[in-house]
Amino acid sequence: MWGFYFTELLHSLPFFLKGLWMTVAVSGLSLIAGTVIGFVCGILRASGNKILRYIIGAWVDLIRGTPFLVQIFIIFFILPSAGIELEAFPAAVIALTNLAASFICEIVAGGILAVPSGQREAATASGLSPYQQLRYIILPQAMRTILPPLVGQYVLLVKDSSVVSAIGVVDITRVGWLTVQRIPEGIMVFGLVGILYFVICYPLINLSNFLERRMAVVGTRL
Amino acid sequence: MLETFNFRVIWEYMPLYLQCFQATLWLSAVSLLGAILVGIIACAMRLSQTKTISRIAGIYIESIRSTPLLAQLYFFYFGLPSLGLMLPEWVTGVLALTLNSGAYYAEIIRAGIQAIPYGQIEAGISSGLSYFQRMRYIILPQALGMTIRPMLGQAIVLVKDSSLLSLISIAELTRAGQLLTSDRFMPVEGFLTTAAFYLIIYYMLKGFSAWSEKRLIFREAH
Amino acid sequence: MISFKNVNKWFGDLHVLKDINLEVAQGEVVVVCGPSGSGKSTLIRCINRLEPIQKGELVVDNMNVHDKKINMTKIRAEIGFVFQSFNLYPHMTALENVTIAPLKVRKIPKKEAEKIGRETLIRVGLGERIKSHPAQLSGGQQQRVAIARGLCMRPKIMLFDEPTSALDPEMINEVLDVMRDLAKGGMTMMVVTHEMGFAREVANRVVFMDDGKIIEVAPPNDFFTNPQTDRGKFFLSSILKH
Repeated sequence: MWGFYFTELLHSLPFFLKGLWMTVAVSGLSLIAGTVIGFVCGILRASGNKILRYIIGAWVDLIRGTPFLVQIFIIFFILPSAGIELEAFPAAVIALTNLAASFICEIVAGGILAVPSGQREAATASGLSPYQQLRYIILPQAMRTILPPLVGQYVLLVKDSSVVSAIGVVDITRVGWLTVQRIPEGIMVFGLVGILYFVICYPLINLSNFLERRMAVVGTRL
Repeated sequence: MLETFNFRVIWEYMPLYLQCFQATLWLSAVSLLGAILVGIIACAMRLSQTKTISRIAGIYIESIRSTPLLAQLYFFYFGLPSLGLMLPEWVTGVLALTLNSGAYYAEIIRAGIQAIPYGQIEAGISSGLSYFQRMRYIILPQALGMTIRPMLGQAIVLVKDSSLLSLISIAELTRAGQLLTSDRFMPVEGFLTTAAFYLIIYYMLKGFSAWSEKRLIFREAH
Repeated sequence: MISFKNVNKWFGDLHVLKDINLEVAQGEVVVVCGPSGSGKSTLIRCINRLEPIQKGELVVDNMNVHDKKINMTKIRAEIGFVFQSFNLYPHMTALENVTIAPLKVRKIPKKEAEKIGRETLIRVGLGERIKSHPAQLSGGQQQRVAIARGLCMRPKIMLFDEPTSALDPEMINEVLDVMRDLAKGGMTMMVVTHEMGFAREVANRVVFMDDGKIIEVAPPNDFFTNPQTDRGKFFLSSILKH
């Protein structure tokens, strides 16, 4: 029996690979969009402007204070009632981008604020404009603090992407869920699901750890 | 959208929401206690001098951290029956949450212990203090102060993670929102109310975190 | 009191202590000096087995320190160790720092331990700071608490690993004063230090090490005015240039 299910599982492999691709697609798009938006928001959040800081802070709090599953449901169901028709895939990308952007915003803001204020003073004294200061002095140094947690955040987002299966996006988790209805060997099926996620996440985790060590060494030279 | 927001329905469903709110709190609390326990054990194993014990704990922690919670949840939900183990859904849910957060707690505790400068341990050794005496009087008191914030952070994550239990038909907060959607086609009211309840828990935990840090503030001063 | 017989130690492939032979008598004050990497810190860290040795015999107070079966707690209770980076416990007050070992290792009752602790802290000049935490103390004050911590165990030997190297210059003297008092009181001491003035005043002998070996052993005046070896001469000339 077990052997039979195993061969069935092997036959389902193409289906799993499709799911893998879907996970990569959803995560990848959201990561890119989320990083861009996150950087912009992070820079704004780290600026002196109190109003911006408050508004962005409230947005981040909302995202952090509610489960991602609830956020997906809200985006998937609520936008249609405001007149925007939404399919599962775009809704998923929007929700995941939103999630990514809010966390990345905090990471970026933290990195910018960690740059010693003396740097800003020196740059101002040299006559550099705020934009030039950001571009040439602040941001390059902030990247040292930002990079390791940023990659760590990417890992979290790939894992969070599994939740989009709840609105029907056919990612790795959904493929597993559909397959287990036919092949009732939960351990085998979701073992395979786990392995596929592991293949994506484990290298990223190691990259994040590596960056953390690398940045720490560079930091001490300063 | 707000003009058509049906407050009366929310009022009608409030008993259900309160019941589900209670369920979420209870499920989270039980899983939290279990997770801290698992975390302490796994951390002790990870720091053990015996390579095999350390490796087993390492495999457990890395597997959990490299795979999504939803996949782990489905793994137990669909996998345990095929082993002959028919558990009530809530037990499966609590099991998945406990094992998941347990791995993260193990890492948090480990980081707290390893952040203590080795010189203090040498000072303890030099005075003749035994391993357990060093743990009890020098290492653990400091580790506790340092880990309170990340531990509460993980507790917040755990409460949000509990929303996934709705996907295996457990009656908690997110499920309440789902019911309002399927019964009355009112996803907006349903999920926004759900979100509001989660935000209550979030702000309570955040407040507790700030309060407890004030009590331990001198440890931060080191 | 302390006896090194053909002691050898490796860190992996690196041979850090080479055929060390040294006797330290009770009541003696021995200063160990030498260039960085000479093994001087490693030498004293072997005495209370913070570092293990691979060959040879190290006997302290008639007990073989590196014997697998020996009760290290007993030996360590007789040895006070002062670190370069103080290593005080930040979550405890000065009094708690100095009494934890007497309470838990010597199992002395609390009232008595606190009495000893208070007296010792007064002796090192910190009577006002008994309830302070390390973060509230200067480097010199912290190091004096560290010395008091060692003394509260009533040890037979006090070991110092570069006790003033991490201190700002103006605080070095307050610590050396405490150490001078200790020496005059007859404590057996081994001190790794660069403070040559201290060595001249207080040490019975100076042990000069280089590259893991003991190069010269002599009374301080002899060593400082007339070093016998070339390496000794070179070392002295390089530190006196400051």
